[in-house]
Amino acid sequence: MGSKYQPSLRGCLPLWALTLEAALILIFFFFATYDTSSKDQKHLMEAYRAFQDVTVMAALGMGFLTSSLWRHVWSSVGFSLFMLVLGVQWAVLLDGFLENFSPEKIIITLARFQQATMSATSVLISAGAVLGKANLVQLLVMALLEVTAFGTMRTISKRFLSMDDHSNMMHIYTFAAYFGLTVAYCLSRPLPKGAEEKNRTATSPSLFAMLGTLFLWTFWPSFNSALLNDQNEMKNAIFNTYYALAVSTVTAISVSAWTHPRGKINMTHVHNAVLAGGVAVGASCHLIPSPWLAMVLGLVAGLISTGGAKCLPMCFNRVLGIHDTCGVHYTFGLPGLLGGIISIVMLKLHINWTNSPITGNQVPITFQALGMVWCLASSLVTGLLTGLLLNLKIWKAPDMTKYFDDQAFWKLPHLAPAS
Amino acid sequence: MRFKFPLVAISLEVAMIVLFGLFVQYETDQTIFQKQNTTGPMDTGRFLELYPLFQDVHVMIFVGFGFLMTFLKKYGFSSVGVNLLIAALGLQWGTIMQGILHSHGQKIHIGIKNIINADFSTATVLISFGAVLGKTSPVQMLIMTMLEIAAFAGNEYVVGEIFKASDIGASMTIHAFGAYFGLAVTVILYRSGLRKGHQNEESVYHSDLFAMIGTLFLWLFWPSFNSAIAEAGDKQYSAIVNTYLSLAACVLVAYAFSSLVEHGGKLDMVHIQNATLAGGVAVGTCADMKIQPYGSMIIGSVAGMVSVLGYKYLTPFFATKLRIQDTCGVHNLHGLPGVVGGLAGIVAVDLGVSNMTTVARQAAALGSSIGTAVVGGLITGLILKIPIWGQPLDENCYDDSVYWEVPRVREHDSGFHERDDHSQLELDV
Repeated sequence: MGSKYQPSLRGCLPLWALTLEAALILIFFFFATYDTSSKDQKHLMEAYRAFQDVTVMAALGMGFLTSSLWRHVWSSVGFSLFMLVLGVQWAVLLDGFLENFSPEKIIITLARFQQATMSATSVLISAGAVLGKANLVQLLVMALLEVTAFGTMRTISKRFLSMDDHSNMMHIYTFAAYFGLTVAYCLSRPLPKGAEEKNRTATSPSLFAMLGTLFLWTFWPSFNSALLNDQNEMKNAIFNTYYALAVSTVTAISVSAWTHPRGKINMTHVHNAVLAGGVAVGASCHLIPSPWLAMVLGLVAGLISTGGAKCLPMCFNRVLGIHDTCGVHYTFGLPGLLGGIISIVMLKLHINWTNSPITGNQVPITFQALGMVWCLASSLVTGLLTGLLLNLKIWKAPDMTKYFDDQAFWKLPHLAPAS
Repeated sequence: MRFKFPLVAISLEVAMIVLFGLFVQYETDQTIFQKQNTTGPMDTGRFLELYPLFQDVHVMIFVGFGFLMTFLKKYGFSSVGVNLLIAALGLQWGTIMQGILHSHGQKIHIGIKNIINADFSTATVLISFGAVLGKTSPVQMLIMTMLEIAAFAGNEYVVGEIFKASDIGASMTIHAFGAYFGLAVTVILYRSGLRKGHQNEESVYHSDLFAMIGTLFLWLFWPSFNSAIAEAGDKQYSAIVNTYLSLAACVLVAYAFSSLVEHGGKLDMVHIQNATLAGGVAVGTCADMKIQPYGSMIIGSVAGMVSVLGYKYLTPFFATKLRIQDTCGVHNLHGLPGVVGGLAGIVAVDLGVSNMTTVARQAAALGSSIGTAVVGGLITGLILKIPIWGQPLDENCYDDSVYWEVPRVREHDSGFHERDDHSQLELDV
C-alpha cells in the first residue's frame, strides 16, 4: 500500500498545462492564420451552427453523461471540459499538418474547429472507461496521445484505403471505446472494498447524467451528418439517426425493465443504451435508403447495448480484469462494431441496388472491411502503449483508496474547516 | 413584501407598456428601406440569419447567468428566479433606453439588433446582481435594474457614438461596467453584521454542480455573444474564432493556476466555474479585429491567470480590508478581465490591427465605462439604502425562505458524506 494521502499535483499539473499552453500558442504563432477568403453570411452561419452543435454535445453531453458516480461528479464534468479544450487545440494543428504534410500555414476555418471537436470527443469517450482511476495529468497525457493516434489512424486510412472523411470519422466510436478499454486494462488493479461503495450511482448524480444523455440524444443527428457534403446524403443521415435513436430508446427502456426480476427500469441502462442507436447507425447513416432499416438497426443496437450492460460486467470485465467505469464498452464499443459491419453490408447492397459501377467516392467493400480492422488494431495497440506509459510513477497516479472520489482532486470547502 | 413587491413590479410593467405604446414600433419594409438609404446596403433577410445568434445570447442570459449564481446552498430559487425577473424587466427597459438614445427621440423601430442589444443591457444588471447576491430584496433589484440600465445606455451611447470606440463583445461597456457598478452598490450596502461571514454563505456539492451547468452554457455560447452584433462576413468570422480560441486557452490556464495556488495541488470549483469564462470577457473588445489566433490565445491565458489570482487573493482582501462583500466574485470574472480586455484593445489598436479607432478613443471608452459605473453605482447604492424596500435582516441573508415558499425538506441540506433519503430508498429496493 502506498501512502494514504493523495500525492500532491501542485508541481506536476500546472507545469504540464502551462508548458503545453505556451507550446500551443507558439505553434499557433508560426503555423496558423485566418481564413481570408470572402465569406458568404449564410454559409458562415451554417458552419457556425454545425460547429456549435458538436461542441454542445462534447462539452455538455459528454461532460454530464459520465457523471453518474455519486462522489465523482465534479471530476467528470470538470475534467471533460479540460480534455475537450486541450484536444481541440491540438487536433486543429494536427489535422492541418497531416492534411498536407508540409509546413504551410494552417488556415483556421469553423469546419476545422468542428472536425477537431469531433476528434476530441474520442478522448471524452475513452475517458469514460478510466474515469475515477486516473488523475488530471494522466488524462492530459491520454488526451494528447489519443488525439494524435486517432488523427494518424484517419490519415492513413484516408491515404491508403481511400476512405472518405465521414466513414473515417464514424470509426470514432469503435476506436475510442477500445482505446479506452485497453488503457483501463493497463491501469486495472483489484479495487479495494471501499471503491465498490463509491462506484455506486445515486439519485441526484443520475439526474445530472440524464441531462448529459438528453443533450447527446437531441444533437446526435448533427454529429452523424456533420462531415457529409452531399445534401441528399446529409438529409438521409439526419433522418436515419433520428429514427434509430428513437427506436433504441424504446427498446433499451423496455428491455431494461424486462430483464429485471421485478420489472424495474435501471437508470444506468437509460443513460447509456438509449444512445446505442445513434452509435450503430453512424457509419452507414447516409446509405440507408428507408427509415424502417434504420429502425431495425436501432432495435438491434438497443438489445445489444442493454444485453451488454447486463452481461459484460459479469463475464468479460471480470475475466480480463478490466474495470469499465461508465460502460463505454456497451455504449460505444459494441454498437460501434455493429455499425461497422452494417456499413459494409449496406455498401454491398447499395452497389447492388443502384447497380452502378464503383464511382470515385465509393469505397470498395474490401477496403471498408480493412478500414474497420485497421481501426480496431490501431486502437488496441495505441491504447496499450498509452496505458503502459500512464502506469509510470511520474504521473503521481491516485492511490487506490482514493478512486472514484472527488476529494482527491478538488478542494471541498464545505467538508473540512479551511486550513 | 406582500403589497410592496407586487405594487412596484406591476406599476413598472404598466409604465413599460405605456412607454412602448408611445415610442416603439415594429420594423417594417419601409423603415428598412429608409435605413438602407442612409447606412448602406442591408439585407432584409438579416433578421432570420441573426435570429440563432440572438437565441444563443438569450440562452446565456437566462440559463447561463441564472444557473451560474445557484452555487449558494440555500439561495438557488432566488438566483434563478430573480435572475429571470430582472432580465425580463431589463430587456423591456433596455429596448426603450437604448432606442431613445440612438434614434434621438424619434419613434423606435425594433429590429433584430435592438433585441440583441436589449439582452446585452440586461447582462450588466445580472453581473451587478452577482455582487449583491443574497443581500438584497427583489424590490431593490427592480429599482437597481431601472437605474443601472439607464446608466448603461448612457455610457454605451457615449462610448459608441461620441468616442466611436470599438467594443464589439462589450468587455468594457458590459462586463467592466456591470462589475464596477455592482461593487459600488455593494460598498454602500455594506453589512457589518456579515463581516465574519454567514453560515449560509457557502455551497454544497450539488449546488456547485448546478452552477457548473450555468458555466457550461455560458462557455458554449460565448462566441455568439461576442459576434452577435459584428459586421457580417469577415468580422463576424474573426469574432467567433478569436473568442473560441481565447476561451480554450483560458480553460487550460485557469486549471493550471487553480492547482498552483491551492494547497496540495487540488482544484477549486469556484475557479473552474468562473475563471474558465474570463477568456470570453477579455477578448470582447478586440474580438472582431485581426489579432491573429495566437493573439487571442494570449489574451485568454492572461485573463484566466488574472481571474484565478483574483479569486484567491483579491476577494478575501476586498472583504476584510475594503468592506466590499462581492458574493459571486464578479470583480474577478467580469471586472478584471473586462479591464484586461480594454487594455488588450488599446494594445491591439496601437499595434495597428484596426483602423476604425484610435488608442485615445479606446482609453477614453475604458475610463468612461469605469467612471460611469462607479458614480452610477454609488448613487444607486444610496437610493437602495433607503429602508423602504423590504431589505432582509442580516440573519436572513442568503436564504430563499424569506421570499420564496420552499419545500419542507431540502435534500441539499444534507452533507456530502451523509447519505440523503434518496440513497436510503435505493438500498431498500
